[in-house]
Amino acid sequence: MTTHDTAHVPVHDSANTTAQTSDHGAPAGTGRAAEQAPRLHWPKLAPDVYKAMFQLETASRQGLDPVLLELVRLRTSQLNHCAYCLDMHTKDALAAGESTQRIVQLSAWRESRHFYTEKELAALELAESVTLLTEGFVPDEVYERAAAHFDETELVQLIAAITAINAWNRFNVAARTVPGRYQPGDFS
Amino acid sequence: VTARTTHLDAGVRDAMRALSAAAKEGLGDPALAELVQIRAAQLNHCAFCLDLHLKVARKHGVSETQLDRLSAWEEADDTFDARERAALALTESVTLLTESSVPDEVYERAAAHFDAPRLAHLIGLIAAINSWNRLMVSRRIPAGSTAW
Repeated sequence: MTTHDTAHVPVHDSANTTAQTSDHGAPAGTGRAAEQAPRLHWPKLAPDVYKAMFQLETASRQGLDPVLLELVRLRTSQLNHCAYCLDMHTKDALAAGESTQRIVQLSAWRESRHFYTEKELAALELAESVTLLTEGFVPDEVYERAAAHFDETELVQLIAAITAINAWNRFNVAARTVPGRYQPGDFS
Repeated sequence: VTARTTHLDAGVRDAMRALSAAAKEGLGDPALAELVQIRAAQLNHCAFCLDLHLKVARKHGVSETQLDRLSAWEEADDTFDARERAALALTESVTLLTESSVPDEVYERAAAHFDAPRLAHLIGLIAAINSWNRLMVSRRIPAGSTAW
């Protein structure tokens, strides 16, 4: 068992709901919708799978710039509509010093290129095409643009990191993991 | 077709193998696991993955009729039973995340056929094959290749 197996299971009992703030759930009197319950406590039900996911996470981030990595995770989580992942990676990016502006502009990065480096732009474009596999292949020009900014080892790690966040997105959307309570450091 | 790169970090490869092995073990239905993996590979257009999983499916005795009709399983209800159909519907919606979330009716149908631990592992298997699809398509690993 890694420390991650017991450190945090992102499912909370009803007692915690009394301590809600505006960050999550529906504080009394705000008129907000009620918080949806998670469907499945997947880390507890499939601890072997959870452990392998952390293995993939650890291996795939090796050699990658953490700032670039958070941008890629955020953009991928936007495309896959993973609320829990957006909550987590927005908080992680802010805690690591990322600017609000770059996070806010991320879903329109093609229109706000001057907020990002050419290397980040190439990574974002690759992340989009590797995420949108059902719509088509990863075009040669996208791959080549990324290959111009990342050496082969780094490029394959980037592909692995895009793959890993896509997998996390799938687990947390399918299990409907509740967004809002994550705090940076919960998994470290 | 030649591969763009055959490089893959050994740690990533080991983690992926562990992920697939754990998911398949927990699902406990090798034939169904292949149907799920082939359907995801069809949606993600992964030639390498289709080639591999079609071979494994045949080894596990999945019928040619099921393989022939898999991409139209919704129109072939005499070919797939209710449990297989529930798993395939879940596979499609967990694979097509960019188009919609996983609808309650799809999730509930799967939960009616799989107990919670098996359902968690089925989701794990769908996430794992989606991951393999990404690693193989991105690097353009040819069907049948042994270098990946």
